[in-house]
Amino acid sequence: MLMLERMIFERIETRILVGITAFFGILLMVGWVAINEGGRMAAFEERSLARSIERGAALFASGCATCHGNDGRGITGRAPALNNPQLFGYDFGTGEITAQIAKLEEQRDLRTQLPELEAELAAETNPNVRQQLEEEIAAVQKAIDPNFDGIDFDAEIVALQAQYDELAGQMQQAIANGYDPAHPERLVNVGWAGDLYGFLFTTLKGGRPVSSSYWPQAMPAWSQEAGGPMRDDQLEDLVNYIMNWDRGEAWTLADLNAVQQFAVEPARSSGGGSEQQADASPVGTNVRQIMGDLEGVEGDAARGEALFNSQETPLGGVALGCSGCHNGVVAPAAEGLWARVETERLADAALAGYTAEQYVVESIVNPGAYVVEGYQPIMPGTFGEALSTQDLADLLAYIHSLGE
Amino acid sequence: MSVLPFPTILDDIKEKGLRRALYDAVDTTVERVTAGMNIQDIREALRGEKASRRPNPRLTPHADSFWLHMRPSYFNKEVTGIYPTFRLGWLSTYFVFFETITGILLMLWYTPSPEIAYGNMLNILGNVPLGQFVRDLHRLGAEAMVLIVALHMMRTWFTASYKKPRQFTWFTGVVLLFATGLLSFSGYLLPWDQLALWAVTIGASMAEATPAIGKEVNLLLRGAPELGANGLLRFYLLHVLALPVLLFVFLGVHYYKVIIHGHSLPPQSEKIGEDTAKRVPLDKRVYFIPDLLTNELMWLGVTTFIMVVLVIWFYHAPLENHADPQVTPLGTTAPWYFLWIQGALKLGDKFLMGIAFPTALLGILAVMPYLDTAPSRRYKDRRIMITLGLLLISVTTILSYMGLPEFAVSTSAEIEILHELDKEPAHNKMGIIRPVPYEQLVVGWYTTAQFDVPEGEDVDAYLAEFNATIAENSQYEQLVDDLRQTAFTVTNTEPMFEAIPEDAPELEAVLEEFYHMLKEEELELPNAWGAIIITENQDGLKRIDLAISWDGVEIEQGDVVLDENGEPVPLMETVLVPVVDENGEPVMVEMLDENGDVVTNENGEPIMVQATEEVQQRVRRIRVQHIFLHRNAAYFQ
Repeated sequence: MLMLERMIFERIETRILVGITAFFGILLMVGWVAINEGGRMAAFEERSLARSIERGAALFASGCATCHGNDGRGITGRAPALNNPQLFGYDFGTGEITAQIAKLEEQRDLRTQLPELEAELAAETNPNVRQQLEEEIAAVQKAIDPNFDGIDFDAEIVALQAQYDELAGQMQQAIANGYDPAHPERLVNVGWAGDLYGFLFTTLKGGRPVSSSYWPQAMPAWSQEAGGPMRDDQLEDLVNYIMNWDRGEAWTLADLNAVQQFAVEPARSSGGGSEQQADASPVGTNVRQIMGDLEGVEGDAARGEALFNSQETPLGGVALGCSGCHNGVVAPAAEGLWARVETERLADAALAGYTAEQYVVESIVNPGAYVVEGYQPIMPGTFGEALSTQDLADLLAYIHSLGE
Repeated sequence: MSVLPFPTILDDIKEKGLRRALYDAVDTTVERVTAGMNIQDIREALRGEKASRRPNPRLTPHADSFWLHMRPSYFNKEVTGIYPTFRLGWLSTYFVFFETITGILLMLWYTPSPEIAYGNMLNILGNVPLGQFVRDLHRLGAEAMVLIVALHMMRTWFTASYKKPRQFTWFTGVVLLFATGLLSFSGYLLPWDQLALWAVTIGASMAEATPAIGKEVNLLLRGAPELGANGLLRFYLLHVLALPVLLFVFLGVHYYKVIIHGHSLPPQSEKIGEDTAKRVPLDKRVYFIPDLLTNELMWLGVTTFIMVVLVIWFYHAPLENHADPQVTPLGTTAPWYFLWIQGALKLGDKFLMGIAFPTALLGILAVMPYLDTAPSRRYKDRRIMITLGLLLISVTTILSYMGLPEFAVSTSAEIEILHELDKEPAHNKMGIIRPVPYEQLVVGWYTTAQFDVPEGEDVDAYLAEFNATIAENSQYEQLVDDLRQTAFTVTNTEPMFEAIPEDAPELEAVLEEFYHMLKEEELELPNAWGAIIITENQDGLKRIDLAISWDGVEIEQGDVVLDENGEPVPLMETVLVPVVDENGEPVMVEMLDENGDVVTNENGEPIMVQATEEVQQRVRRIRVQHIFLHRNAAYFQ
């Protein structure tokens, strides 16, 4: 020790040399560490994901497997599968075919609609209605995709339908367990705007309180915040484990058919067009179309009054609240409205060609189109979405009864 | 005539020429920055020459500058070498600043909240460039500092440097030792992993043993009955605020005292009872500039160099799983520097050993200079004190050893063995099955019985026989029942243990080690066999089920009960076995109700049932547990 001390540290130049060497050594080593940091950090992330999956697997085995199955394929009548192409949004082709058929049907219908509208336009004389018709024609023309010109729609649809049927035929097992080949993406089906990670995480975190209405036992809330047993990092481990079932493009029909139980899907509207739906869909804002829809619909003034005074709710499920404003101060009074329309409003040149009913309908679904002098344009434009044809007919009947 | 209306460097340039004027300007600046030394003075100092001008410019910085006014301008040659200080005081100071700097860097990425803290650690390790490097430095520095400060104290003890007039210096040193230990300990909790939570839980549980106000002290420290958000915040504030303030204040006092009394000379270089540290003869003077300064800068470089080498190649700060108050890991220990308390706790009462003993030790240390007032600092006159010092080192070392979980903590052999096989990485150890390469984890059922094969016999035939045996004596049924309890899908009805394939030598080595562990515990686990069952759970993820099946024996307080022949006493159970006659036909008897009356059917005829008899049989026990191993988990690193 003393020898070493004499040899190295006694002389100032050795000290300076050793010191400088050490400092440069530090710089070199730190630099060397720094340039390798990218790789090291990536390796760390990979490793910590792997270990998270391991922990998630242990949690799954102890907490989830009893309902979702040891292999994650669900248990019939008990809980849906997670080891499941539907959850990861994998489409074996049926979803795509369904979309193609819908597109073909849309294009086919547009092409039949166009000449009908043009014929209507040729027969119409009222300038306001003509203008509306022209706008509609323009919209249809815009919607017609020239790529579909010259296609034999019906033949194409039949061919696609055959393809669909063939694929669906290979999914018999899955369909029996609740799979809908036309809607193969779970997140799309439930209308989830976020990603799968968020969907799984929030489902675990808060549970599915109402799922006991279709499963024997509701999915409980697992996070401690929601009264469950797990910390958020454990939920993350579980989600990482579930996400590890994703096979990307390698999912097979065998995987699909191995699923014991699919998730229960929320009720889905069949896309409009059927007769029963006519009453149940909102009237929209196209006055000309609404006038056509209203033909033959009998209004009930008593229900209209209840709607007007928010004692009943229309299609939209939210009370209308008409009586709150239509008192003559904030908005024109409902009393005597019909008479005022007939005698005063329709005299205005801007409303040439309008009937009283047409005017009132327009004022409800598109309130900004004409604002009576002395009032502010404050009425919301959302009533077209809130009212069914029947709701509107009832309201009209009530307003009509007030005016006489 | 000035170039501008006021004097500037331009005038100098005009007068002396550009070169000379610039040199003079730089020279003046250097002299101002160093508070007294110009370029020429520095050059002379670094060359080891004498100062060429008077008054000695190397002394001016000590008089005029803030930083150097704290340092003496010269030292006694006898205290500047490695002996007698071993530079331990300097190293302690070095680590104070080292830890402060690395600690502040880590604070940038840390939030003291149980929800976030662990995520912060993962972020530091996986997302902050040089994050792992700085964390390793901080952790290693903390542990080194505890060691260095303790050694510093022992050195002072052995050279009797605590004697008059340095009693109070020693006292402040004891405070610094205490602060260092607590700083290191409070930092232990911050990563909020299992290691942290349980080490600190053990440490903090000692506070509970405080008489009368134990509960209150515990509550004050942890902020709640259990360590949680409040506890973490308190430990964090202790770590970054309260203890550093204490440390820096006492460091200031300590250093002031060291300088005011001078560094104590080696015991033999002064007369007994004299203290000549402040009277340094001219021929023994070593000046701070340049000798000590270059010396310290060199040590700064060398020590940091060593730290960097250590954390790059030899040391990584541990990070275990997220803290979980519900899961107590097997073999939890306090940090190594508090192991001696944990060891002492095994000897007796929690209050006596956990509180009274350490407090008394610290108290005695604090007042030691006022008790040991013998004037001589010579080694030969201090036989008792040196013996006591060595005794202190020995006792703490032995107690530390006793603090290890290996010492006198009895866990059942089967739990211990399974833990050896699959434990999470902790304390730089992990279950031996974890580092087996993923591709060698071949799906299949394997058993330690494979190594029972007598010399020269066929393994497959032997295992077929084994399969038949365990199917018959229902040990397989027991295994399958237990496996099913843990979300394991068993598809085969017959046992299908097979020999480990040849391309999995590391797995085979683990199985063999498993076999030897069972053999070593034969007393507690008689007729045992172990199983390793590997199944594919997900793509890239395998499930490893481990099982031990053995004949139960009587255990009392962790020890096997032996009979007079030294044999373990078997556990027996009574089972009801159907009785058959010599032809193998069931023997029928009348059915009796709980009163011993014959039960009859509606026709008044006695109901016949098969006779049973009570049979004593050995209890067969089984334990299963499982882990999952992912392809990328990289336990081999």
